[in-house]
Amino acid sequence: MIYFDNAATTRPDPEALARAGEFTTELYFNPSAKYGGGFSVSKKLEKMREALLGTVGGKDRYDLIFTSCGSESDNQAIFCGGKRGNVVTTQGEHAAVFSACTELKNRGVEPRFAPVKGDGSADIEALLSLVDDKTSLVSVIHVNNETGAVNDVAAIAKAVKKKNPRALFMSDGVQAYGKLNFTLPPEIDLYSVSAHKIGGLKGTGALFKRKGLALNPYIYGGGQEGGARSGTENTFGVAVFAYAAEKKFRTLKEDAIRLCTLRENLFSLLQGEIFTRISPKEGSPYILTVSAAGMRGEVLQRMLWDRGLCVGTGSACSSKNRFSRVMTACGYPQSILDGVLRLSFSPETTDGEIVRAADILNETTKEYIRNTF
Amino acid sequence: MEKVVILRYAEIHLKGKNRGYFERVFSTNLERALKGLRHELRRTSGRYLVAAFDEEKSDEIMRRVSRVFGVHSYSAGLLVSNDIESIFEAAKLVAPESGSFKVQTHRGDKHYPLTSMEISAEIGGRLLGENPALRVDVHTPKHTVYIDIREGGKALVFGSFEDGLHGMPVSTAGKGLLLISGGIDSPVAGYMMAKRGLTVEALHFHSYPYTNEGAKEKVVSLAKILSEYTLVHRITAVSVTHIQEEIHKKCAAELNVTLLRRFMFRIAEKIAGREGAKCLVTGESLGQVASQTLEGLTSSNAVVSLPVLRPLIGFDKEDIIAVAKKIGTYEISVLPYEDCCTVFLPDFPAIRPSLSYIEEEEKKLDVDALVEEALSTREVIQL
Repeated sequence: MIYFDNAATTRPDPEALARAGEFTTELYFNPSAKYGGGFSVSKKLEKMREALLGTVGGKDRYDLIFTSCGSESDNQAIFCGGKRGNVVTTQGEHAAVFSACTELKNRGVEPRFAPVKGDGSADIEALLSLVDDKTSLVSVIHVNNETGAVNDVAAIAKAVKKKNPRALFMSDGVQAYGKLNFTLPPEIDLYSVSAHKIGGLKGTGALFKRKGLALNPYIYGGGQEGGARSGTENTFGVAVFAYAAEKKFRTLKEDAIRLCTLRENLFSLLQGEIFTRISPKEGSPYILTVSAAGMRGEVLQRMLWDRGLCVGTGSACSSKNRFSRVMTACGYPQSILDGVLRLSFSPETTDGEIVRAADILNETTKEYIRNTF
Repeated sequence: MEKVVILRYAEIHLKGKNRGYFERVFSTNLERALKGLRHELRRTSGRYLVAAFDEEKSDEIMRRVSRVFGVHSYSAGLLVSNDIESIFEAAKLVAPESGSFKVQTHRGDKHYPLTSMEISAEIGGRLLGENPALRVDVHTPKHTVYIDIREGGKALVFGSFEDGLHGMPVSTAGKGLLLISGGIDSPVAGYMMAKRGLTVEALHFHSYPYTNEGAKEKVVSLAKILSEYTLVHRITAVSVTHIQEEIHKKCAAELNVTLLRRFMFRIAEKIAGREGAKCLVTGESLGQVASQTLEGLTSSNAVVSLPVLRPLIGFDKEDIIAVAKKIGTYEISVLPYEDCCTVFLPDFPAIRPSLSYIEEEEKKLDVDALVEEALSTREVIQL
């Protein structure tokens, strides 16, 4: 099987799993325990935290809060950062941000949604026009998970702070972390990430928080994570995350260059009269979103699965929520929205897979047309 | 003293010389429904008793018998010797802790030395003497202690009658094949025919990859619930994908559904033949959708010779929903999975297509080959 749904989740890295194994066999102690075993686990946990901090921010500038997933990180940032006035975000956000911001309405905070451009990136001018002196938080996704469009969050954060220095700036970095060459600038206060998009496990997320920023916890309890997120630490998950990230960051630049070439090769091999490109060229090298106009993405997805190619889609056959909210916001007509396929890669993706996948995609769509048009 | 579940049967008593047959099927069905639970089924005149079960399973036994057709009513009760002392001991356990009550006696054994009234008075008096929190009210009591004096020196004591499903024991009316979708109607139709004693086999049509695995899973869940009533624990699935593609490509779009239904009926009749089913059952209700007009029904009927039973034909949707809720299929039926992908749905289906028009359009297809091909995709799913 060719697995091109890495933006949904990646195959857990076997090396990272093996290295982290000790946390399930010998080092199973609770890191809060005050005896030797607990202490040694706690020490290792802090080392891993430091290593992860070093990847994009550095331990002098940021704290890292381990959470259960990217969505939890987003929720904590929004509900604990956006407490008054208004919160400004975009139509192109992941549901974890979008739904949380919508919920703010019920908590007395006004959510404001800036439009997106055709490729899914934020309309920065429109976004900035929504920011005023009552804005408590601005949230902009780093890499759009449906189209791969990259928002220059460093520049946006700078512009936001210029307009309102008191507003917090957060970014959902789930599809960017470990994939884009990027260092957190001082203007970004909060940055959420997830382990299972880069070879870690589901159930492990983290939130980068600028040092000195006081952020309330979202989960209260035993006061772990310096009180910022209670609950016994997921030591095994964190270890797999840290080891997978260590490996991922080592080859980050080469991977990005290689996958960019592969992505372009794939698109050039696809039948031009069938596939419309949605992902921008300057977008994430890890995502190629296309649309087979007039076809049903979900049906194609099942046909492709039966032919050994696993892809994501932006549409559903059901009449409820048939179209993706984000793709609709991009302004595409219904025929394009129906046929959206998201092909997403990992460093494991090979040249051969690209060629075979293109064949399967071309053949399957032709068959679809033969059968239904 | 022994804990028992008392079952009284419904329409069977109307049967004359066939009664023995109906009773045999009924007890077989009860055994099938109680399969896997330790129990003993005893037949007495006019009653069945489920006994010798594990006490913690009594709720499950009650639940299962509540789904067996032919049960008129059922009660959890106690079986004791028919001497007054034993009856009183049982009555103490059945009687409420406080409030108004009465004792009502039925004397099946007419040789018993006391009359019904005398038994009621005796037991009622003793209960009252034992527990001062009780109070007798023979007109509108909150609780009733029922005593049923049976033959063979036994008596049954119980506190309530639960209403059974009534109907006829399944399989006394032969076998039918239900066309089941993921919707609200077809499981209800299957339930209603099973209630009249039909053994209901189920057939589901899917069009993977145009419909997804979830749609099939949904039908399996529905069939599982239905199987508690029908006692048939399997479902046949057939793919009509290629048929839909061919119709879509070659025939008038407005006839998509009409033509597909004709194929479904043909396939169903073939499968019915293999399984020994003597009729088809559908959940159609007159005028509910475009394919369920008189013309639509006529067009489907025209391709089969088996009778097509449509128990919901005169039902409003809300009546159907009420039954679906009662039998427990409604919640699953309304889950959002489509049983037919919108790819093939025409904007405007023909509402009153003439048979000649339909047959003309159908000539564009190799009907026999498509039916055979669909039959080759047949799979039987054990529930």
